[in-house]
Parts: sequence; structure tokens; C-alpha cells
Amino acid sequence: MNINLWWLTFSPLCWASHFLASYLTTAIYCAKFTSADSDAMPVRIAVAIFTAIALTMIATIGVTSLRVHRMGHATLPHDDDTPRDEQRFLGFAALLLSILSGIATLFTALVFFFMETCH
Amino acid sequence: MNEQAQRLLEAWRTPKGWRYWSAVNNSEVGLWYTITAFAFLLFGGLLALAMRIQLAVPDNDFLTADQYNQVFTMHGSVMMFLFAVPILEAISILLLPQMMGARDLPFPRLSAYGFWSFLIGGIFVCGSLFFGAGPRGGWFMYPPMTTEYQTDVGADIWLLGLSFIEIASIAAAVELIVGVLKCRPPGMRLNLIPLYAWYILVVAAMILFAFPPLIAGDLLMELERALDWPFFDVSRGGDPMLWQHLFWIFGHPEVYIVFLPSIALVAMIVPTFARTPMVGYGWIVLAAVGTGFLSFGLWVHHMFTTGLPGITIGIFSAASEAVAIPTGVQIFCFIATLLVGRVTKSVCLLFVLAGLATFIIGGLTGVMVAIAPFDYQAHDTYFIVGHLHYVLVGGTIFPIVAGVYYFYPLVTGKQLSERLGTIAFWLMMIGFNVSFFPMHITGLIGMPRRVYTYPAGMGFDNLNMISSIGAFVLAAGFVVFLWDLLRPKGKQPLAPRNVWNAGTLEWLAEVPDQPWGVRSIPIIKSRYPLWDQENFVRDVDEGKFYLPDAEEGLRETLVTSTVEATPIQCLRVPGPTFLTLGAAVFTGGVFIFGTFHWYVATCISGVLAFFTILAWLWTGTAIIPEKTEKDVGLGLTLPIYVSGPDAVGWWAMFITMLGDMTAFMSLVFGYFFYWTVHEDFPPKDVDGPGVIWPLVSVICTLIAWTLMLLSRKSNRREGAGVFYIITVLSVVMACCAAGSLVAGPWLHQMDPTEHVYQSSVCVLVLWTVVHLAVGVVMQLYCMARRAAGKMTHRFDADIVNVTLYWHFMMLTAGITGLTIALFPLAA
Amino acid sequence: MNESASQSALDSAGQGAEKIAELFYWMTAGAAVIWIVVVGLAVYAITSRREHPVRLTSWLVIGGGAVVPTIVLTLLLSYGLAILPELQRPAPEGSLTIEVAGVRWWWRVHYTDQNGGRITTANEIHLPVNQPVEFKLTSEDVIHSFWIPSLGGKVDMMPGRTNRLKLHPTREGVYSGVCAEYCGTAHAQMRFRVVVTDQATFDEWLTNQAKDYQANSGTGESTFLARGCSACHAIRGTSADGVVGPDLTHFGSRLSIAAGVLDNTTENLKLWLNDTHGVKPGVEMPEFESLSVDEIESLVAFLGSLQ
Repeated sequence: MNINLWWLTFSPLCWASHFLASYLTTAIYCAKFTSADSDAMPVRIAVAIFTAIALTMIATIGVTSLRVHRMGHATLPHDDDTPRDEQRFLGFAALLLSILSGIATLFTALVFFFMETCH
Repeated sequence: MNEQAQRLLEAWRTPKGWRYWSAVNNSEVGLWYTITAFAFLLFGGLLALAMRIQLAVPDNDFLTADQYNQVFTMHGSVMMFLFAVPILEAISILLLPQMMGARDLPFPRLSAYGFWSFLIGGIFVCGSLFFGAGPRGGWFMYPPMTTEYQTDVGADIWLLGLSFIEIASIAAAVELIVGVLKCRPPGMRLNLIPLYAWYILVVAAMILFAFPPLIAGDLLMELERALDWPFFDVSRGGDPMLWQHLFWIFGHPEVYIVFLPSIALVAMIVPTFARTPMVGYGWIVLAAVGTGFLSFGLWVHHMFTTGLPGITIGIFSAASEAVAIPTGVQIFCFIATLLVGRVTKSVCLLFVLAGLATFIIGGLTGVMVAIAPFDYQAHDTYFIVGHLHYVLVGGTIFPIVAGVYYFYPLVTGKQLSERLGTIAFWLMMIGFNVSFFPMHITGLIGMPRRVYTYPAGMGFDNLNMISSIGAFVLAAGFVVFLWDLLRPKGKQPLAPRNVWNAGTLEWLAEVPDQPWGVRSIPIIKSRYPLWDQENFVRDVDEGKFYLPDAEEGLRETLVTSTVEATPIQCLRVPGPTFLTLGAAVFTGGVFIFGTFHWYVATCISGVLAFFTILAWLWTGTAIIPEKTEKDVGLGLTLPIYVSGPDAVGWWAMFITMLGDMTAFMSLVFGYFFYWTVHEDFPPKDVDGPGVIWPLVSVICTLIAWTLMLLSRKSNRREGAGVFYIITVLSVVMACCAAGSLVAGPWLHQMDPTEHVYQSSVCVLVLWTVVHLAVGVVMQLYCMARRAAGKMTHRFDADIVNVTLYWHFMMLTAGITGLTIALFPLAA
Repeated sequence: MNESASQSALDSAGQGAEKIAELFYWMTAGAAVIWIVVVGLAVYAITSRREHPVRLTSWLVIGGGAVVPTIVLTLLLSYGLAILPELQRPAPEGSLTIEVAGVRWWWRVHYTDQNGGRITTANEIHLPVNQPVEFKLTSEDVIHSFWIPSLGGKVDMMPGRTNRLKLHPTREGVYSGVCAEYCGTAHAQMRFRVVVTDQATFDEWLTNQAKDYQANSGTGESTFLARGCSACHAIRGTSADGVVGPDLTHFGSRLSIAAGVLDNTTENLKLWLNDTHGVKPGVEMPEFESLSVDEIESLVAFLGSLQ
């Protein structure tokens, strides 16, 4: 497949969506619906689901990018003046962005592992 | 010089005499921009010295409390808004076209307009200090202090003066994005573009999404100050937290907006002195794009102590840690490159090293304060003052100084002194660390920020004295640097061409420089064409590539496709004009007169600005060429006029509207934010705009938008009759949309000063109505263009761009109508 | 200024401050190691005359730039998140609860006695040692921030909201508190004292604070009322019931005047009454230039007697 400049943004956008969804769910739940003991279990379950979805998407994008990066006789630094190498370069950059987005998503999820209440 | 070169030179000649100030070419505007930004840096630096004198000893009375508060407010605002952001735009306008072998950026007049706006706004804001009327709310301007408790003109100067400059910054961002995406030389694929361009692309995109929330916040605060709409007044349902959110959604990406372009300079300098291509080009792109995204997930770490839930704090703490990863990657790429190559010594590298050593400390303390519990202690203390200066001086100023040493010969033809540079380096390095390192301790032993004095005997005395001494040593370093820049260099020989033996395109520049940028626009096959492509410089100089001539005496450059950079258009860029200066003066008048509530003058200035900008568009854009195609050399023939997504103007409209939508979404966010903080929102006893009128408005907009699509289509017929009829109908429907939108709040007697519910409905209505008015002006403009023969059935860029505007108009009106009509039913 | 009133976050005297100081020392040590390694490498890279193979340096980018930072940051984030819930958790039900409101540029303080009665004081907070305390923080005008560095972190006082903060002092002594959020002209002089004592001393202090004013023989009371001080200040047990300024019922027992600006001595009190705006620029209290020397003497004596 051929990937373009927008492809680079897909993994970070998954992170961003996961991040915003987690933040807004927390903010709205803790501001409007929290119980007396401020238990945040419903939010934690929601975020676990968000995380599973986001990581699946990021992994899919990452694997596709890896394939593009290794297409044909590929060696870094992908600086040949050919459409092939341009694709490999985009694949490589998108792969790295997928890894970073995955780590950042896990960091967000880590918060819900430690924090049990809305306090 | 042959005839071709003579014609090319004539087309690009810089105007002489007083007409010099009508220049719009990137080399002129970029230079003015850079010099002005540096002047503001010096002004900000003097303010810093005044603060350090005041704080040198306890209970000092060098400045009064009020003076000090104005000075620290202005120091922050000047450094951020009048130096850090403008300097990145300045350097990019000056150098980006050179790095991409382009003759100019796609919209030279827009750059000029941005520069003049920046100059006027900057002088206005700084000038207020000399009349004791400076803003004193801090650069963060937290309400309700700045709304209810500082009723003098200072806060208005800040809000209006800087909004004006922020708009100029967005203009520059549009220019730079289109520049990087569409004005690269043929063959410069995405995997070959200079790293600087990657960074600038990311940064410009960040500006586009970071600045609009602040502009929206400014709008809300000015509405509260001028018209008493209670957005931040808790007694009428407002909430000061909304400002903090909007400010820091801008404010944190802002840090990376000023940091990344400076790192981009480092990414150009390091390979040159290591004599080897950058190691980890892909990793750097990862770092730039990754930082760009993650930096939008950090804003709440400026609000850790505002009493938010622990989970929220944790989420932003986590993202703040994650952003350290791409930042670290870049640093290791630089070190790896230096290890691979055989390094040539230079002052440039000294400042790069200074930048790294300093920035890493700022980065590490940044990782520390991102851990929320530690921030509970460190927040709003001198620890943060130390941290942020390590980040900004190490991450921005030292790399820029390195960049000045590196690019000075390119711009002026003369080299700076290595000896003076070394002296400046040591003075700055020692002075900076002596001044700012102790602040970490000062903060942790309890000294808060933004205090005009402190009592003796708390342990602050010696540390503050040391910081003040360091500040003056740092200033001495800047004096040496400045002297090196300004000292007369008449007798000094010209620097050789490509003095550092660099590999990137900007070093094609001849010494002394020619106004045409490059003699001919080359075909690129490598990341470092000057190193890798054989006979490259000779071929460029002999005009063997594209556009070596200007047969028609017009300024021309190439437009290429976004990914592969295949040539698609020969773009004619406009030449010198005073229209942009006039437009900036009149726009400035609107903001400046508005500050002092001189509404008649404001209106006159507004009308003049409106007509000047119309004249500029009418005479300078979408000009129908004398022939449809042109031979650009090497047997290639390209169209001169294109419309739609191939055209740079279409991209500019698209990108501008993305920014516009971001500002609008910030206002919508405000509406929902008030819902989250209130038990009952909308309040039970208050009449809303109703369901009928807003929905009528949505339907009218829908019809107007559909008619615009038809209008674009009917314009392609040779006869203009149907086009006029459809467009007039669309104008009528747009007016109906505006009228019915206003009717909702009007007929339900919603008083925007009564409660924040009314004011947040009214601000959405106001925003949408203003946009409808702009949309109508555009429609009338298109009809006039067609009538005047400046737009035809074939040359239709105007109507295509206006239709694009209307797509966004439809979104805006739809979201406004549905939100104010339906959300009250759901809530 | 009282030398013993510590304002240092590193001179910890509370559970929160202790945990955060420990966190700080760990992070600083780690940061120092990282800085030395990275900058050492950069200096070596610039000065070294050797060319190093690309393959080796690629591993440096992957390892040093990506893998190691990710591991270190994960550990650090976990550390930070692990101590966060305890810092955020409210004090147990039934703990001492103190309401503090930020006012430009001083602090209004309310204690609640056993019977639920409210006791108003200002600019000084007394706490029993080794007891968790819950603060309810509000603002009456702009945003302020309530910070006692030696006891723990700060929390902002937001108009329209009630924020909370738990502190748990572990060491007796006098500490200094300060407003950390820029709040206007006199932000630098918005301070207060915190006195941590054993439980018995605290109980005694609170019982005393609950008492109304006991009339004495001086002329100060009549000057106080005649000169309009009572328009802004309250002294319980007199007709002075102003609420704009600090409650002065037990002013004489306090350690400082003008919100922690001056030690509470006769000399300083005279200085404050004579040169109010010189001592604290921007303060809302007007300067009473028309007060005669005798009137000032009597006021100072009167205020000092409010034990």
C-alpha cells in the first residue's frame, strides 16, 4: 500500500483520542456523577476499554508501517531519491510514532491503575 | 552577466529610497522581522535587569510594587509574544525559501503584513510601560484579578495588543505550512527535505491549534471587561478556571513552539560541523511530530494546584513524562552525529553545546515538576523560574545565538569574530548559570515567584544577590555579542561562498547575496545536495535548472506536489506594495483605538482597513495571466493559473479555517465547561434562545451553503446570468440565517450581562453572525470579480476558495445552532 | 523577621513535606547522574578526533535516546503516582477542620469549637502536632494560593470553589506560610504564621480564642470606635463588627501584624499605624494621618491588650 503524510498522524491521533476520552470521562464523572466516597471504578473500567481499543489501533498502524519500512531491499537511512525509499522513510517514521504513541497511551492507563478515587 | 540573469535581477530588484519600505521579498521582510525581534529581546532583557536590581537585596525600593508588577508582566509577555514566537517566524521567513531553493514564500505580502502588524502591536504594548499604564496581571493574566480588580487600561492593552500580534503569528504559520508543503524544489521528496523544514512544518501546525484558544480566551475576557459579559465572574455563574484552561492549552504548546525551531537550527548546524549527514533523520522526524502532538496533552500541569481531581492530575503528569522521550531522542541524535563525524571547532558549536548542557538541566527539572507531588511544593516558586529559564534560554536563546553565528555570513556576507564569540560564550554561560542555578534552591526554601521584595533573614538574601550578579555577567555576554553583530565591518573581507562547507541548499547563496535567491531552481536528489550532487553549484549558477529567466519581468517561483515534489505550477508572486503597510496600520488602529474606547476612531480605522485589504486582494491575488502555460526550462511547461487543491491560495484558506475552527471550538468548549461546573446549566428560571429560531438559522445556512456549491458550478458556464442569480439568493439566505440566529436570544430577551449562560449563548451567536457577514462579503466580492472580468468561467480560484470558506461556515453555523437549541433539552 | 519561622520546603515538619522532600532528593540525584553522562558524552563527541561507526551510534540513539529514558520515566511516574493518592486523600472524618479564606492581602481563618460554634481569627493558624488537619480553602476576591512549605504542598484558593488540603504536622515550632499565586499589588506581603504545638497547648489556645473581649481601663477602646476602625474590624464583645478587615478580638496574642509582614511589637504597631502604605503598598486599610500621638499610644496599648 502507499502511505502519505497524513499516515504519520494516525498513531498520535489515537493517543490524542484516548487521552481526551480518558480526561473528559474523568472530568465529567468526577464533577457531575461522583458518589459520596468518590469511588472512580466506573471511570477506571471505561478507560480500560478505551486503552484496549487505542492500543489495538496503534498496533495495527505500527505493523503496517513496519511492513512499509521493510519493503524490498531496505536499509536505513532511507535517503535515496526514489518513491520506494520515500515510502520506507514514511513507514519508519510512522513506526516510531506508533511506538511512542503506544508508550504514551500506556502512561495514561497507568494513572488509572494507581488512582482509585476522584479526590 | 547575461541577458537572462539581467532580466531576473530586474524582476527581483529591491526598491530604492523611501520605497524600500514597500518591499515584500522574504529577504527584506525576514531581516526586518529578525532585527525587530532582537530589539524586543533587548528590551525584555533590560526589564529583567531592573527586576534583578530590585531583588538584589531584601526590602529594596528601587522599584515600587506597582512598577515591579508591570515590569515582570511585560518581561514575560515581551519575551514570549514579541521575541520567542516572532523570532522563529523571522528566521523562517528569512531562510526557509533559501533552504528549499524557492525564490520567495508563496504569500510575500502576507509576510509583510504580519511584520508590520507585529511592529505596531509590539511598540504599542511596550510603550504602555513608559506611561505607567502597563499591564500588571502577569503574562498569564488570571481573572478575576484582571477583570474585576484591575479596571485600568493595562489589561486591555495586553489583550488587544497581543491578540493583534497573535493573528499575525497565525498568518505566518499559514505561510510557512504552505511554504513547506507546496514550494519545495522539484525532487525534494518528503524523505529528502531539510530537517529545519520538518520542524517548521510541525511548529506552524502547532501554532494553528495553540494560538486560537488564547484568541478565544482574549475575546471572552475583553467582552467581560468592555461589555460586562460575566465569563469569569463567579457571582454570575462565570468561572476563572475556563481562562486557565484556554490560556494553558495555548501556553504549553507555546513552550515547544519556541523550542522546536531553535532545535531545528541545531539540526542544521550539527551535520555541517560534523561533516556528515544527520544520524537518525527518521528519529528526528519522530521527535518533531511526536513532541508536536504530546505537547497538547500537558496543559493542566500548570494547574496542578488548582484543586482538580487526582486522576486528572495524574493523566497530565503522565503525558508530561512521556514528552521527555522524543525530546531525549533528538539530543542523542545530535550527539551520535557528532560522534560519527570529525568535528570542526567553531563558536557555533560552542553555543550548541551551551544550549544542550543548559537545556538538559531544564528538561530534567521539567521531568521533576511534572511529578505532581513535587509540583505541589515547587509550583509558583523560584524553582520554576529557574526551570523555565533553563528550558527557554538553553532550548531557545543559545541555539539562536549559535544560529546567528552560523547564518550571519549568509545574510550579510561578513563573518563574525570567533574571538569575540568565545568571550561572549563564556560570559553568557557563566552568567546564566550563576544567575539561574541558585533560583532552584531559593524556590525550595520558600521564595514564591512574582514578589517585588522579600524580608531579610529568611535565607533568600545571599542567593538573590548571587542571582543578580550573574544576571549582569549574562548581560555583559550579550553586550559583547551585540558589539560583534553591529561593529563596523567595512574593512573585513567578504566571507567565501558557503563558508562552513555545508550541504544544504541555503548555502547556494552568492556573496554578496543576489535578490533572486537562487539563479535557477535545482532538481534535488539528496538530503545534502551540495555535498552529494555533482557540479551542483555550477549548474545552478549557469541557469541550467528551472526558471532561470524572467521573460515577462514578473516574480515567479515553482509550486510542487506535497509528497513527491513534482512541479505543478509556475507561481507568480506579487512585488513591492505599500498596501500591506497601510492595512497593518489601519488594523492596528482598530485594536489600539478600541483599547481606549475611542469607538468613532475605531470604526473609521476599521472601514479603512477593510477597504485596504479588499484593494490588496483585488489587485494582487488570482490575477488572470496573459497566457495559460509557460515554459519553465528543461523542456517543462507548467500552468500559471491553478485553482482548487493544487493552488496555494486554496491551502491558505483551508489552513486558516482550521485555525478559525479551533478558536470557535474553544468557545463551544466554554459553553460545555460551564455545564460541567454548574448543578443546573442552563439555569432553570432562565429563558434560552428556544428551539425554533436557531434551527431556522441552521436550515437557512444549509440552503445558503448548497447555493454556494451551485454557484461554484454555475460559474463554469460562459454566461454569468445564472451565477449572479444563485449567488444573490445565497446572500439572501445567509442574511436570513444571521437574522434568525439573532432572533432567538433577542426575542427571548436574553441579557448577556445577567448570567454566564446568556453570555455563552450570545458569544456563539456573535461569532457565527460575524462569520456569516464575512461570508456575504466574500460572495459579493466574487460577483464583483466576475462582473469586472477578473474571474471568469475558466479562472475561478476566487469562487473555489470562497466555497471552501462556506464549508467551514456551514460547520460553524450548524454547531452553534444545534448546541444552543438542543443541548438545553438534553441537559 | 523571626529567624525561627521556617518557610523552607526542605526543612520538613509535616508528612506531606517529608514525602515530597524525599522524592526531591531521589530525583535530584538521578538527574545529576543523567546530566553528567549526557553532557560528558556531548563534550567527548565534540572534542574527540576519532570517527565512530554509524552502527554503534545508532544503538546509542535507540538505547540512550529511547529505551533508557522510557524505563527511567516509567519508574519515576510510578513512584509519583504511588504517593499521590495519600496526598490527595482527605483527613479522616472528625479531624480538625479549619476554614481559610484568602482576601487581598490577608487571611481570614475560622475554627469550629466542640459545640459547632465558629471562631474567627486572622493571619495566624495554630495546629496540634501529629494530628491530620483538613483545610477548606476559599477566596473572597482573586485567586490566592495557600502554602505552608514546611508542612506540605500548596493549594490555590479559587473564587467560587471550595478547595481542600490535608496537612499533618510532625514537629512543633513556628512556621511561615505565604500566598504563592500572584494576586495583585501586595502579593509579596501576604503571609501568615503557623504555630504547631502539643494538643494541650492548642486546646488552651482555642479556648482562649473563643472568648469575647473583656473590657479594661484604657482609652483605646473608645478611640478605636470613635475613629472608625470598627467599620472594617470586629472585636467580639464590643460594638465593633466590621467584616472587611481582619477580626482583631485576640490581636495582642498574635505573632505578627499586617499579614505576617512585621513582628507584633509596640514599635512595629506604631509604625504600621503611622505609615500603613509605606509598610505595605497597596493595602486596603486607609492611612489615619489625623490620629494624634496620644491616640496612637492608646490604640497601641489597647490592641496589645487583646490577648
